Amino acid sequence: MTLGLPGHLARASLSRALTHAGHCAAWVCLAVTVALGVSGATIDGDPMSWAVVTIAALLAILLVFVARHPIVSLTVLYLVIGAAAMVALTTIVMDAGLQGGTTNTPILALPMIAILLVGGAGTGAAIAITWAGLGYALGEAATFLGATLVGANWVPNAGAASAFVLVVVIRALDGISRRSDQRRETGLHRASQQNRELAIRHDYELRATARLHDTALSHLVAIAAAGSGPVDERLRTGIRQDLGLIVGRDWAVDHSLPDEAENLRGGAGRGRGYRRPGVAAATVGGVPGGSAPADVVEAEGSAFRAAFTAAANAALRVRWTGDSTALRVLGPMRAEALDAAVAQCLINVARHAGVDEAEVAVGVGSGEVTVAVMDSGVGFDEHEIPEDRIGLRTSIRARIEHEGGTVRLWSTKGIGTTIVLTVPEGGE
Amino acid sequence: MIRMRLTQQEADPIGGIAAAPVVTMAAVLAVGTALGVTLAHRQEITSPLAAVLAITLVAAAGSIAAVSVLPARAPFTTERLWLVVALAVGGVIAEYVSMLGGGRSVTEGFGPIAVGALILALAPYCTWLSLLLAGALASVVIAVLVVGAAGAAHDPAALASLIGLTIVVVLASSAAAAGYSYAIIAETLAWQRDANRAALRRDAALREGIARSVQQTRVSVLGREVLPFLAGVMTADRISVADADRARELAEALRRALKAGIESTWLDDLAANLQLARDIDVLVDDPMGAAADLGDDQRSALSALLSWLGESERSTGIRVRITVDGAVRRISVSAAAGASPPSRRELDRFAAVARAVAMRAEVAATRENVAVEFSHVPG
Repeated sequence: MTLGLPGHLARASLSRALTHAGHCAAWVCLAVTVALGVSGATIDGDPMSWAVVTIAALLAILLVFVARHPIVSLTVLYLVIGAAAMVALTTIVMDAGLQGGTTNTPILALPMIAILLVGGAGTGAAIAITWAGLGYALGEAATFLGATLVGANWVPNAGAASAFVLVVVIRALDGISRRSDQRRETGLHRASQQNRELAIRHDYELRATARLHDTALSHLVAIAAAGSGPVDERLRTGIRQDLGLIVGRDWAVDHSLPDEAENLRGGAGRGRGYRRPGVAAATVGGVPGGSAPADVVEAEGSAFRAAFTAAANAALRVRWTGDSTALRVLGPMRAEALDAAVAQCLINVARHAGVDEAEVAVGVGSGEVTVAVMDSGVGFDEHEIPEDRIGLRTSIRARIEHEGGTVRLWSTKGIGTTIVLTVPEGGE
Repeated sequence: MIRMRLTQQEADPIGGIAAAPVVTMAAVLAVGTALGVTLAHRQEITSPLAAVLAITLVAAAGSIAAVSVLPARAPFTTERLWLVVALAVGGVIAEYVSMLGGGRSVTEGFGPIAVGALILALAPYCTWLSLLLAGALASVVIAVLVVGAAGAAHDPAALASLIGLTIVVVLASSAAAAGYSYAIIAETLAWQRDANRAALRRDAALREGIARSVQQTRVSVLGREVLPFLAGVMTADRISVADADRARELAEALRRALKAGIESTWLDDLAANLQLARDIDVLVDDPMGAAADLGDDQRSALSALLSWLGESERSTGIRVRITVDGAVRRISVSAAAGASPPSRRELDRFAAVARAVAMRAEVAATRENVAVEFSHVPG
């Protein structure tokens, strides 16, 4: 949510809200006039009271049109008809001699207030005061005319005058308070925009960080661990691919291209068997003793491209089980995030579990895709993971949580580790 | 329905702050009217004690209203509205008692004007429903007093007229207040919807630019040392011991950089931005990363304060410290006064905004420095 109104809109918005407030008060004044008329007509049996009811109801209806379409012509029409109504009401009230013979009576104040609260076309304090002044002047002039017609004593109406002063004071205060420009100084709108930018930047920084961890850092660790000797060809290939990925493309937003994603998600199911050039075929053959049938390995390896490659590079045998078409229900970015997280799980198994095989189970159901990565390695205590081990946090947990998913981990020293990654179906 | 629950003060805190002087004026009007009408009709007063009590109650209602809407006491709660209305209606009852048998009607009293003025002035701080309800209940009480004062002396039509003309001030005021509250909330929410839609469209354009700049930043960091090293290994036949050691060093350095990146929050990014743009020291001490617990609006409120403090030589340095005390997060913002130090009143404006977004806020300002302390419990 964005906090508050920006300065450039506040003037018009507050002005319209004050006008609406005036209309509500005007409708109440007219409603009470109608009620008084009905009471006079039904209880006292005064037939002229029905005229009062009709006039007040007509003004109320006309004000609805002014409220819905605040244009100059309707405003002027309301004022003119209102003035005519005031002449009629004054003659009725004064002729009946209801209120002691002067026009300073509450029964005439009510419709006059309804007229000066017209609000009218345009926004801003000055315009609103002008319309109110016009309404008040016309109301008093009409009352004077009506009183003259029936020979009654005209006295300015105190109630209407008070209402007019109140309108002037409120509108003037509104105008003055806006000049202090507190909104611009507080800069809430600007701060809100800045925060959105920071959030987007932070989001990309995290993605970039995860990508860096997966690429440059893992290669550096592999080189450090290898010690002196010939360069492993898998390492060389991996570095070449990742350098191309980092330097040659917008890798912070990198995700599967639509056609590529379609291949990734649908290829296996439709039997087209998407195969990453130069990688899948070679590594399937390179994994010693893969325990799944070759077509299943290839199908799963196609969907979990990064995981498959990571396992092959780490010489990790992976037993893939479960629903081979699970990733179809995910958007390309979400599928890629899940793939990358599974890849990091397998890298962790290869590096830390002390075993050379793992099992990956894929399932879909209840609107979620679940992948369990299991090993029978040395296990660990999650609380004892060194602070600088960021792979679990960034490459696995941050990725999955960013996609609205969860990561659950069970590990027992000497028994093994199971990591369950769950993401909701769909996504970008 | 959100419009029934929101007040202008919550949806547009600055609008609420700007309206505070209007309440003071309404309170002065209510008390002035009470004094004026009582003095004008002093001959008809039968109970001076009740008359004094009536004025006192209206004065109390006005004072509470004026003080309650001050930014330092935000947000204005519904209970405060009921307290103000109850005291003002109490004043009307006391006025009625003061003139029992004196020949003056409630219609000529100050009650409806005082109650109406206070309800109208509190419109920016209450929901439209509570304002309507307050007006309706006050009108019922006043109507009962009118009937009580009139007794059997009036015929039904005249009595109905008397009631209508007496309560119309309160009804019209509360209708105007409710109409204002409803309309300003509708306007604000409509704008916020538009603004959020525009922000989403803008975000899409921003993402591309930001992604590119993030990429360039990261690649430049890498490009200096890591990429040349990896490229060297890729083209070499053998890895030497020196290469392995260098890889270990680079891995450690990269790991530290990545860790710092992961643990940073939006507040660190904001501080870095401010430091760069305003050339003042902005220090963030948030060991637990608790800044991430703040909601969007709370972040905006805090960002607005920090940006404002960093502008126009208001401060020479800003320090933000976030501590976690059980479920409560405490955010202390302290700033060393610059050439044009902020006033307490200006800071109260930000505190009021913070209170509108579910944070507690306290302000302390001295000549040397200012301190604003926020606290909140993450939802």
